[in-house]
Amino acid sequence: MNRPTVTRRQGLAIGAILFGLLLVGFVIDGGRALLGDVAGVISASYFAAVFRFTVPIAFAAMGGIFAEKTGVINIGLEGLLIIGAFSAVAALWGLSATPVGANIWVAFLLAVLASTLVALLFATVCIDFKADQIIAGLAIWLIALGFAPFASIIIWDRTNSPSVGTFPVWEVPVLADLPTVGPLFSATLPVFLLVLAVPFSWYLLNRTTFGKWVEASGEDPKSLDTAGVDVRRIRYAGVLLSGVYCGIGGAGLALNTGQFVGSGDTMVDGRGWIGLTAYLIGNYNPIGAFLASFLFAALDALQLQLQQIAGFEVSSTLVGIIPYVAVVIVLTFVGRTRMPSAAGEHYESDE
Amino acid sequence: MGESTDPGDPERHAPATRDVAARNGGAPAVRLEGVTKRFPGVVANDDVDFSVDRGTIHALIGENGAGKTTLMNVLYGLYEPTEGTIRIGGEPMSFEDPGDAMDAGIGMIHQHFMLVDTMTVAENVVLGNEPTRFGGLLTDERTAVEETRRLAERYGFDIDPTERIEEISVGEQQRVEILKTLYRGAEILILDEPTAVLTPQEVDALYEILTELIDQGKTIIFITHKLGEALHAADEISVLRDGKLVGTVPAAEATREDLARMMVGKDVLLEIEKPAADRGSTVLQVSDMVVDDDRGIPAVEGVSFDVHAGEIFGIAGVDGNGQSELIEAITGLRSPESGTVAFEGADMTDLPRRKRIEAGMAYVAEDRQKRSLVMAYDLRRNGVLGCQRLPTFGEGLWIDWDRIDGYVDTVIEEYDVRPPDPGATAHSLSGGNQQKFIVGREFERDPSLVIAAQPTRGVDIGSIEFIHERLLELRSDGKATLLVSSKLDEVTQLSDRLGVIHDGQLVAVVRPEDVTDEDLGLLMAGERPTGLDVESARVRTEP
Repeated sequence: MNRPTVTRRQGLAIGAILFGLLLVGFVIDGGRALLGDVAGVISASYFAAVFRFTVPIAFAAMGGIFAEKTGVINIGLEGLLIIGAFSAVAALWGLSATPVGANIWVAFLLAVLASTLVALLFATVCIDFKADQIIAGLAIWLIALGFAPFASIIIWDRTNSPSVGTFPVWEVPVLADLPTVGPLFSATLPVFLLVLAVPFSWYLLNRTTFGKWVEASGEDPKSLDTAGVDVRRIRYAGVLLSGVYCGIGGAGLALNTGQFVGSGDTMVDGRGWIGLTAYLIGNYNPIGAFLASFLFAALDALQLQLQQIAGFEVSSTLVGIIPYVAVVIVLTFVGRTRMPSAAGEHYESDE
Repeated sequence: MGESTDPGDPERHAPATRDVAARNGGAPAVRLEGVTKRFPGVVANDDVDFSVDRGTIHALIGENGAGKTTLMNVLYGLYEPTEGTIRIGGEPMSFEDPGDAMDAGIGMIHQHFMLVDTMTVAENVVLGNEPTRFGGLLTDERTAVEETRRLAERYGFDIDPTERIEEISVGEQQRVEILKTLYRGAEILILDEPTAVLTPQEVDALYEILTELIDQGKTIIFITHKLGEALHAADEISVLRDGKLVGTVPAAEATREDLARMMVGKDVLLEIEKPAADRGSTVLQVSDMVVDDDRGIPAVEGVSFDVHAGEIFGIAGVDGNGQSELIEAITGLRSPESGTVAFEGADMTDLPRRKRIEAGMAYVAEDRQKRSLVMAYDLRRNGVLGCQRLPTFGEGLWIDWDRIDGYVDTVIEEYDVRPPDPGATAHSLSGGNQQKFIVGREFERDPSLVIAAQPTRGVDIGSIEFIHERLLELRSDGKATLLVSSKLDEVTQLSDRLGVIHDGQLVAVVRPEDVTDEDLGLLMAGERPTGLDVESARVRTEP
């Protein structure tokens, strides 16, 4: 067995250094005058934005971990995020024209339900009908990519929805009033959910019986089967969890913006794919996946900010690719992720 | 569960002196009465009766395909017996699945371990039966580790419950498997060829563990085809042949010769008329071949032999002694670590498979469905598998389908393949007809060397006879044939010279008429028969 020559931690460190180098590079290219502007970008409110950006990526990544750890590779994460985002906005719009009160929470739950139902379809096709997981995952993505803008046109006559309202901002008492770091502690529900979901997922995978069954199901389903645990049920649970997580991620994305954008690659715009990369970089560890997601979100937020700096003479399209270039570079260094041995394989009990 | 028995008893490790009767509290632990298991077209177990007393070790021996594993799978609930009764502790049982067998206190240690490599010893031991805290919310890891350590200490296993499976040796992994069954409360342990994957030192350690287990009142059944092991470790030995129980003997009264005779049987199913060999020049020469298996462990260790035109050279041996790797190295499917293969005088050790086919090497593979046929293809396309680049069938990138049609029609007719339809998929044919088709495809090409590995495995009697006749025809035509078979009667009747392979080495090359089946059985088990004239056999000396 090949042992990785670069550990994951080193990989993340390399990514962070690259992130720094990029900053420096832009400073030199753009001249000394930009230094102040770029440094000014990095603040507590910048990191608060990064957390918001992290939500869809990290939830997709953690969902992907649960599915793949049980042995079902779910590359439909992007599609599930789109479904989550669209359903949240559509539900909120349908519930009331002028959203107030509890409607937004109901819409959020409906979005999670919708994403989970699509994940159920994916699970049935992959586990019971033994479809190729990669093809089924692509199908989920393509279906969502077509369905959401199509439904938008039916409902709103165009691919983008009108503004339907956003989550209220909650402030953590006392902490939110602190100077400098204060903005980090006023956030919306999805951000708080993310902060809870990362340790929860880690605990679920590493400290519970369910987590051990998940691992066994993805590594060696026959051993699990002979130990008297139904592999099929564990795999269903893993895929459905990925649906729940993507629902939260997608709804979080849309309800933070207050609108569903269905044009082009939709508002999800590759975040599901980056999530997939993030959990590979994090080697199927929710904490690692979160850190990787955070790194990408930070780069994404940075490029947005850089584009707004006046006098910044780099094509915005070029700046826009920063996060994706970073994905490629980080993956090159971390490339030796250990996949679950039985991931992608169908399992059929002998008897 | 009581405490460990007195470890000071000096008699414990001497199987022959064990007082079996004293432990025998009434009904036997396991009793099989008239157990018959039929699969479509095959009787795997035929009216098998035997019983195992509590606190004893029972060995189940027999050749490959004798029905040992099927019988144990019936006992473990993987198969339901077609007829017959299983009694555990005197009570008749009927197992729907292994879960029922486990509940009845039966544990099975499979030849291929059922362990999750990335998890720790303790996690594997408790998998599926985890101790939990907070009403099942969390795994109680500490209890799992302690419980595993306690069990390991009680039975004298040297094992660290917190190590990962991928970090420990195969012998230790086997102990984890045993711990798993003990954790689930197994009283009767079935071990399927437990020594097949172990080093000699690990085998000794296993014997000690087995002794410890029966001292604590467990009952053990182990499957083996190694006579020495059965005699050394078991209290009683049951011999199966062709699905039938030949007999059960106390180990103390049995000899190797008795067991070999019981295992191989005296009856010969098919008498083959064989004219004298007309031996020609050397066609295949294998020198000092060393081949690793998939895990990188040497499976063939320095094998040399040659095969002449007009002769059948047989290789006899129990499965898994390096035959498969040897054949794959000769046919070009596996690279040898060292040694050479020469074909008609020219070295072809490094030639790709295609060149070997072009040179006139035909190959009937051991696993016909994996290696010889594409099951979803029709016979027409299967008929050119491997020979599509031969000038007979096409030119460059083009395939001449008309010629192939003619060839496939000939094969189907000459080799009596049924149904005689070139459009039928390989799937739709019976095993015997698939094999006849492969034999026809390979033989009709007019090869100068035929390598036939287990050519009649899983094939009905009629087809066996047919394939044997064809092999002898090739011999009369002056072709060289290398025949590998784990069926003793097949290799002895067809071969002109016979090499016996054991543990990756050719332990003897004999003329079949010079040796008895008992001698061969002993050679195959790695024993040296006393009566055999060693001069007549070119016995390979140990380095």
